[in-house]
Amino acid sequence: MSTPRRSSDLPSGSSRRSFRLDSGPGRAERDLDEEIDFHIAMRAKRLVDSGLDPVAARAQALRRFGDVSTVRAECLTIDHERERAMQRANHLGDIRQDAGYAVRTLLHSKGFTAIVLLILALGIGANTAMFTLVDALLLRTLPVPGAEQLITIGDPTRTGSLSEGSPRTDLASYPLYADVRVRNQSLRGIYASGRTGRLDVIIDRDSSGGARSSVEAEHPRGRFVSGSYFSVLQLQPSLGRTFAADEDRVPGDDPVVVISHDYWRRRFAGDRSVIGRTILANGTPLTIVGVGPAGFTGDIVGQSIELWIPLMMQPAVIPHTAWLDDRGINWLLMMGRLKPGVTIEQARSDISAVMKRSLIDNATGNQIGSIERRLGEGAIRVESGARGFSYYRSAYSSSLLTLMAAVGLVLLIACANIANLLLARASARGREMSVRMALGAGRSRLVRQLFTESVILAATGGALGLLVAYWGSRALLSLAGGSSAIPLDARIDGRVLAFSALLSLLTALLFGLVPALRATRVELATALRTQGRGVAGVHGRPGRVALGKLLVVAQVALSMLLLVGTGMLVRSVQRLQNADLGLASDRLVIAGVDAQRAGYSGPRLATLIRDLGARMERIPGVRAVSYSENGLFSGTESRTTLQVEGYTARADSDTLVAYDDVGPGYFHVIGARLLQGRDFEARDNETGPKVAVVNQTAASFFFPDGDALGRRITTDSTAWEIVGVVADVEEQGVREGPERRVYFPMMQMERQPGEFYLELRAEGDPARLVVPVRRALQAADPALMIRSVDPLTELIGDSISRDRMVAQVVTFFGTLALVLAALGLYGVMAYATIRRTSEFGLRMALGAQPGDVTRLMLHEALLLTIAGVVIGLPIALATTRLLEGQLFEVGVLDVPSIVAAVTVLAISAAAAGLLPAMRASRVPPLEALRAE
Amino acid sequence: MEDLDVGLMRGTLDLLILKAVSWGPRHGYAIAEWIEQVSGELLLVGEGTLYPALHRLERQGLVEAEWGVSENNRQAKFYRLSADGRRRLRTGTSSWYDFVEAAGRALKATGPAPA
Repeated sequence: MSTPRRSSDLPSGSSRRSFRLDSGPGRAERDLDEEIDFHIAMRAKRLVDSGLDPVAARAQALRRFGDVSTVRAECLTIDHERERAMQRANHLGDIRQDAGYAVRTLLHSKGFTAIVLLILALGIGANTAMFTLVDALLLRTLPVPGAEQLITIGDPTRTGSLSEGSPRTDLASYPLYADVRVRNQSLRGIYASGRTGRLDVIIDRDSSGGARSSVEAEHPRGRFVSGSYFSVLQLQPSLGRTFAADEDRVPGDDPVVVISHDYWRRRFAGDRSVIGRTILANGTPLTIVGVGPAGFTGDIVGQSIELWIPLMMQPAVIPHTAWLDDRGINWLLMMGRLKPGVTIEQARSDISAVMKRSLIDNATGNQIGSIERRLGEGAIRVESGARGFSYYRSAYSSSLLTLMAAVGLVLLIACANIANLLLARASARGREMSVRMALGAGRSRLVRQLFTESVILAATGGALGLLVAYWGSRALLSLAGGSSAIPLDARIDGRVLAFSALLSLLTALLFGLVPALRATRVELATALRTQGRGVAGVHGRPGRVALGKLLVVAQVALSMLLLVGTGMLVRSVQRLQNADLGLASDRLVIAGVDAQRAGYSGPRLATLIRDLGARMERIPGVRAVSYSENGLFSGTESRTTLQVEGYTARADSDTLVAYDDVGPGYFHVIGARLLQGRDFEARDNETGPKVAVVNQTAASFFFPDGDALGRRITTDSTAWEIVGVVADVEEQGVREGPERRVYFPMMQMERQPGEFYLELRAEGDPARLVVPVRRALQAADPALMIRSVDPLTELIGDSISRDRMVAQVVTFFGTLALVLAALGLYGVMAYATIRRTSEFGLRMALGAQPGDVTRLMLHEALLLTIAGVVIGLPIALATTRLLEGQLFEVGVLDVPSIVAAVTVLAISAAAAGLLPAMRASRVPPLEALRAE
Repeated sequence: MEDLDVGLMRGTLDLLILKAVSWGPRHGYAIAEWIEQVSGELLLVGEGTLYPALHRLERQGLVEAEWGVSENNRQAKFYRLSADGRRRLRTGTSSWYDFVEAAGRALKATGPAPA
């Protein structure tokens, strides 16, 4: 382009741009060409003046200049660098200027800024708190290398379970694990882990053991793991060593333990000499050989482990048990690492085949039916293990997602609210905007500047929100856990920070962009003419009000959704709390005892159980005592299959019942209603005829003609005669629903359970019995392990604490949403009142009564609310359906909740509208007219 | 000039340019002409080499450029000394003298330095 121009004879004084823009594509090139042309032309002219002809002069000028293209390229490089640097500086300067201006403006209106920051801190904070929990529970992967190659085998939620009876696949027995380990083709490595239960650990500085009795036992959380645990997870110890391969062979041979880094820091103050020390776990000495890697607390989310003990030490640490040999003791969860190139599906079919063969090959006659049923019930569970095991994940994910949705809604409402506030401010600043535009500020520049304000607000709100999130996530965990907080690792890490930052920016976009665009859309002449008053107000620009009203309607609609949901959850919790359990629940104390560990078994155990019952009865304030294997609301449950005389099962599952073995007077003590026959009595003992009691559901299922009494049922080739029918009792959970249930006398069982519960009926407040019961148990035998002593009301409360927490938190945010919506309505109405002052004056001057004006304004407020309700209701009906799984005895279309939500909204709307309406009616007509 | 290139080093050219514009705005051609007049043949290697130097000085903020109308009524880019440029001219000139003096002394030396 430039070369031909240079070779042509440039006319002097040609018409060129008379002034230059500061930038633009190709400007540097054009300028440079012009500069060079000028030089050559000047030189040529000088040469012509000295007598050369024009053509020769030009040639010589070019020669003297040198290589044009080199010069040109060199100059352009320099120029472009310079342009870039200038743009950067400009940009930074603009941002700094905008930010400085925004901060000054915000500080100028402190009240506005404080309110917006408060709303934002709550809104962003609540969302960040929820995300913290969602991340910890649902998203984060285990802190181990190549977590995506891990798979879990079994039911990953059953982290603390042990199930006795026929072989299972959701939990594995040790022999089953051994078979899978040896025979699978798809895994590079596999380990198993299982519960230790509560450990009594004694850590003593004095290794001679002299002062041992005076040292109090501690209860760190432990887990039995196979020797391959750390190698499969590919973790290196931070100190000492992990388990050696041969520590997985001989039961009781390797008394070692690896402690977690966290526990090491906390309990041993990070003392490096801890390696080699011996601790006593349930009386068994274990040598600390290593400290786990920093930041690793095990493979179970929400359950951090402090001691890892080799599986082979199980018989030594929990005496009188044989969990390693028995194919009927299911207690292990397995985790494997896939071989390269193997998919989860391939691993699943491989492992399923291995497990099925192992189970069927080793089944004894009696079990084959139940094993085949179990294998038929569904595929063996093999899932991605990247996020580890977790009981809490399945239990809490739907609650968490509900709460996440609730706080998300609140943030949306908050955004609408702040947008409204900003709109109001924008109209107040209309003059400032028009002046700045008249002075030549571009619209994009002004939008950017207003938006900077929003971003600064949102960022500050987000930073404050982090504090709210830190506090809030902890509060939620303790609320959800009932009597003890859920031990979830809810820390504010990089992911949470990133979420919060992103959310803040999104929030700023949501509430800031429209007001910024709206504020800068001013008509200069009109705005400047209007002295001191808002731009958008009187002079035919209803846009700001229409937009404000739209935002209010949206707020009301969203609040409607939240309030209906709140109503349903609250009502569900009320139903849960007042549910009829078929129990005297407010009079019972439940005490859990472990006698097995103290060495009781056989006849000694039976005597102990009877003796404890008699001792409890002597405690003042105790009316009656009985005992049972599974207790009430204890989380343990037994099931069996049975043959029923005169009943033909159509499916295997028809013969499945829940059962418990209980003491004399059990139904009387727990307050269950006997419908037919009798309670268990002292004569139903080892020598008496074998008897059973069935619940109503079982009676009407097996004996629809109501003739249950006297019939016989058979389990494991023992026959029992039914002597009573009892009304259904919710034994383990309020939500359980009726289930077929059979009770046997504990003393007539083949073996009495080593772990059992005592039920005590109190005369007065059961909470007062807790201490005397503990004392009496201790007095009976100090070696007994008392697992728990709780009033039943507390256990029931804990069992619905999650529902209560969700309802409480949603109520809190529902209220917040309501307040925000009411504030938004108030703001819009108040603004409309000011805008229409002259109109009201005119109306009143023409004879309208103050009441008419009030009605007019209230009518408008109500219209907005109705619009919101009408829009919100179908949305609410559609979305609250998602709550179905969390509701108890509350339908999806819950009329009381809807009515309550509409009522609350209407009252709030009336309250929010009344104040401005009354102010409108009190305007003196003359003043109002003069205001124009 | 023929055997050994002790011609205009970049630093020296920069100094001369700054000096050329120290009396007021000049366009590139005028600067080239002034340097030629006062220094004889120094720039003959190629007047074009002046421009990268000028643009570099502009980027460094030592000269400022603006478009104006030349004496024969054409648009031309005029360069003017900035405050920074004036300072640089001062310090540059004195260090140039220091350098020349030192180099001159060295070249006039009559024997190896005493040990």
